[in-house]
Amino acid sequence: MQSLISRPVKRPEGEDKASGRALYVADLPKKDFLWGRYLLSDRPRARILSITLPPLPPGYSTVSGEDFPASGRAHIIKDDWPFFAEGEVNYIGEPILLLLGADAQVLHHLLNQIKVEYEDLPPVLTLEDSQNKKEIIFGRNNYFTEYKVIKGDPEGAFQKADRVFEGTYRTGAQEHIYMEPQGMLAEYDEGILTVYGSMQCPYYVKNALLPAFGFSEDRIRIIQTTTGGGFGGKEDFPSLIAGHATLGAYKTGKPVKIILDRHTDILMTPKRHPSKISIRTALDSQDRILGMEIQILIDGGAYEGLSSVVLQRALFASTGVYRIPNARITALALATNTVPNGAFRGFGAPQAYFAIETHMQELAQFIKQDPVKFKRSNCVDYGDSTLTGGTIKEPVMVDELLAKLKEISGLDPYKLPPREIKGSKTRAYGFSLFKHGCGFTGSGERDKIKAVVKLRRNADGTVEILIANTEIGQGAHTTLRKVVSETLGIPFSRIILNNPDTSRVPDSGPTVASRTAMIVGNLLHRAALKLKNQGTVGEEITVEERYAQPPEIVWDQETFVGDAYPAFSWGANLVEVEADPLTLEVQVKNFWGTYDIGVPLDERIAEGQMTGGISQGIGYATVEVLQNREGRFLQQTMTDCLIPTAKDSPEIKVAFVNNPCPYGPFGAKGAGELPLVGAAPAVASAISNALDLLVRELPATPESLIKESKRGEQK
Amino acid sequence: MVKAFYPQSLAEALGIRAAESVIPFAGGTDLMVKFRTAPGAPPDFKKPILYLGHLPELRGVNKIPGGLRILPCTTLAELLQEDNIPLPFKSALEEIAGPGIRNLGTLGGNLCNASPAGDTLPFLYACDAVLELSSLQGKRTVPVEDFILAPGKTSLGEEELLTAVTFPVPVFKEWTYRKIGTRRADALSKISFFAFTSQAHKKPRIALGACAPRVIRSRQAEKEIYERITKRDSWNFPELKVLGEEYYGKLISPIDDQRSTAFYRREVSLRLIAEFLYKTYMQTREEQ
Amino acid sequence: MIIKCIINHKPCEFDTDPTKRVIDLLREDFGLTGVKEGCGEGECGACSILLNGQLTNSCLLAALQLQGREVLTLEGFRETEQFRILEESFAETGAVQCGFCTPGFIMASKALLSENPSPTREEVRDALSGNLCRCTGYESIIKGVLLAAEKGEGVW
Repeated sequence: MQSLISRPVKRPEGEDKASGRALYVADLPKKDFLWGRYLLSDRPRARILSITLPPLPPGYSTVSGEDFPASGRAHIIKDDWPFFAEGEVNYIGEPILLLLGADAQVLHHLLNQIKVEYEDLPPVLTLEDSQNKKEIIFGRNNYFTEYKVIKGDPEGAFQKADRVFEGTYRTGAQEHIYMEPQGMLAEYDEGILTVYGSMQCPYYVKNALLPAFGFSEDRIRIIQTTTGGGFGGKEDFPSLIAGHATLGAYKTGKPVKIILDRHTDILMTPKRHPSKISIRTALDSQDRILGMEIQILIDGGAYEGLSSVVLQRALFASTGVYRIPNARITALALATNTVPNGAFRGFGAPQAYFAIETHMQELAQFIKQDPVKFKRSNCVDYGDSTLTGGTIKEPVMVDELLAKLKEISGLDPYKLPPREIKGSKTRAYGFSLFKHGCGFTGSGERDKIKAVVKLRRNADGTVEILIANTEIGQGAHTTLRKVVSETLGIPFSRIILNNPDTSRVPDSGPTVASRTAMIVGNLLHRAALKLKNQGTVGEEITVEERYAQPPEIVWDQETFVGDAYPAFSWGANLVEVEADPLTLEVQVKNFWGTYDIGVPLDERIAEGQMTGGISQGIGYATVEVLQNREGRFLQQTMTDCLIPTAKDSPEIKVAFVNNPCPYGPFGAKGAGELPLVGAAPAVASAISNALDLLVRELPATPESLIKESKRGEQK
Repeated sequence: MVKAFYPQSLAEALGIRAAESVIPFAGGTDLMVKFRTAPGAPPDFKKPILYLGHLPELRGVNKIPGGLRILPCTTLAELLQEDNIPLPFKSALEEIAGPGIRNLGTLGGNLCNASPAGDTLPFLYACDAVLELSSLQGKRTVPVEDFILAPGKTSLGEEELLTAVTFPVPVFKEWTYRKIGTRRADALSKISFFAFTSQAHKKPRIALGACAPRVIRSRQAEKEIYERITKRDSWNFPELKVLGEEYYGKLISPIDDQRSTAFYRREVSLRLIAEFLYKTYMQTREEQ
Repeated sequence: MIIKCIINHKPCEFDTDPTKRVIDLLREDFGLTGVKEGCGEGECGACSILLNGQLTNSCLLAALQLQGREVLTLEGFRETEQFRILEESFAETGAVQCGFCTPGFIMASKALLSENPSPTREEVRDALSGNLCRCTGYESIIKGVLLAAEKGEGVW
């Protein structure tokens, strides 16, 4: 039965978006501003010997790293990423300087005349070269981070093993292709820097600018503008663009606008980490899993940025939904001279789940069991221990998810039809089972974010939500208003929620990690409960609520022992694929997904999150090719850096299974990343079944499939 | 610098073409991207453009005895609406880009852009299309395979404009058009393949795009392959693939690029040829 | 070059660089920011306008191509009953998430329904194949157009 909260509500900002009235950063009314255009590195690794500028007309100037009053480093997690190259460049696309001026055409011509003299240094361009230490470009061994997790007795498990099965799985880079390219508008007025822009995390931007300028908190103000998609791509990089734009405003005294054109956005912004994951499984004589050994390598690019946390999530997701009694997992984030990689919906989990789900399907085929049955029978249950020695604290609804899949697809997941030949094509089904930890990985909420929310009831009875979380298309500003409206028992229309302005709102944390609905929503729910019974009618009152770690969620960030996440959302996917054995072209015909996200806060919005994430997962598995050769992407423009079109997309049917979670408002759990995590493995599994080929590499393009089929032919 | 010429007639356009160094501009869908600079700034064409897209003398489709005469500034969308355009050609046209681009892009533009992956080309090559080039001096005709010289290069003279594309329309018996694109819409071709047999000409006609610097068409291969197919009683797919490879193997010279690999292009185009040769073989069996 | 054309039902005459991109002309000179730049190369459709009733990518148009023609942008369409039905339908199916692609999809839907008031699912997919969306997976947009066709019987 559908919970009341799940009933859809019209998005307040929807009409402005549909009518073209909503203003994105590029639409902000023109004042007397300067454009900022980048001079970017075209070498993967080099020392800058000299930069020769053409004569600059009056009103045209440049800024670079030395112009920052305090620090030229962008604070992400560490302070390793310079706003501008510091005498040396470490990737193609690294900003060297920003050219400022009023006329876009003049700037374009001036930029083309700038001459840079480089002294090339030997670059490291692939994961393998980095791991093999072809050159050392970071630290002693090119490792940004290295983790190890051991559960039980993996050595013993492999000694006892009757058989061992192994496979190595690879995933490529993926570009977000949010439809709105990145951009910022910065002003410096009366000692205060103000930034308007497309972003997910206003306080991340503020906290990156404070150490750069050495200003006090009240002198930097960040205001999010209507943002056209983020998906993680606007988690970290906006801090850099904001730094560039504010520096320009600071130095010239004029507003500076940076709007990336699409091919610059593709060139210079972070991508999903490419990965190489090897899994070895020890089986006993009854074909039961004794243990696993997993090695995870991710390509961090030139600067560490968010790589350590991406690696952590990949690590904790590496054994998927399965009960693995003994395991040894090693994980490395390696440095290469390519664009620094960063957050993208899933954040290490899509890579891990492609590997584990594909491995489990292959393992099932190896021991001649039905893959769906095999996966289900090895799935964790309520009370089981996790990889890190935590506990599954909620009912595991996997049977309900499978039953729901059967209901919406008309197919029994346990009796999937085998590969069928239809004319010149073949058709087959694929399956995946997955979960995603909700909220920031590990102790992030407790130790780093320390979220604060405020609610203010105005004299007229309206209530304003004061949080730093952003509406980026995912519907957060609708669902969070619903939480407050339902809790207070006042009409939705009386709840105010504006795009965050750091001068008005507290830091409730970033809009990432599937935390907004569950963590921030729950804080707002508690604040609303407080507010309900306080204050007098006709008087203004503000209440505050701070994050408190539930005492039963125990985690040691040093040893990685305990509960890495307070809760998990779950999903099961069934996919039908049609393949052409002649050309190896593949089309996803139908996609069915069932999900446990606790309780959907708005069914229409939740469904939109599922179909959107599924589509990105389908792209990740099929058409989204992003290849790096000699440090440069071969796919440089929207023509080649592809996402699925309407004609590439199947009919998608989605349904939810309710499983209220005590840590989220009205039982809600995280939803944003979950659908992408399971989609690609399900598609890969279907392709594998349709063509009777191993699919161990994403994207599974016809070019990679034909190589695999040729390999098969030779046997 | 004059940035653009807006002629009132074809005659005026030819006069400008003779007097000035200009870039002929029809729909602009290739040119506006090729010469673009930055948002907020116009493209940098380096020469004036000569706009032709509005001239009624350059738009339209006319029936001629046994065939069609298409005027070059006819848009791809207009061609799709035309009853006289044969279905096999429409199959190629409807897979080009997306609706917005098809409303602007023209047949002449696709030809003069001379991309190895031009999607109108395999059909025109297979149907022996002939192009009419005009200048103040008069007109001349050139077969499409002599018009396109290399990627991006045509034999269009500095004082000439493309003024018509004509081709005989056969009665199609068997035909196959396959575009292997990077995705299902808005995609550039990795391989474009068009082949047919007609009532009058039983020999297969085969044209293959995006697998070499220019579209591949070999009348000699078609003739000899057909002779060998008819001479023998039974053929299977692997044998036909070997046969096709014997002739086309050395003509196909694909590259690795951001869209595909040389290996894929070679292997799959040979498969597509084999598949069509199989259709041809089955057709000859039927007729016996 | 002097251009005479109709923009959003109003006759206009202006002097401009004939090679100026129409997307820049509309956004900068006419303040029509409902036309969005997502790629500048005709791939994403966020800059879609109707030119003489035909769907076109304004980032690919040069100003001189407007001569004697009629341009319709979202701003010229949004006060109509047809728009209201589309907006309502899109809201009902959840077709608007981040909203950046939405103006382009609205214009593409108008172009489709004006020519084909009762399209099939496949026809909708084809008509929208030049517009990219990253948020929705297209499912809700296709449903939105089908719903608008149903709701708007007689209006298209």
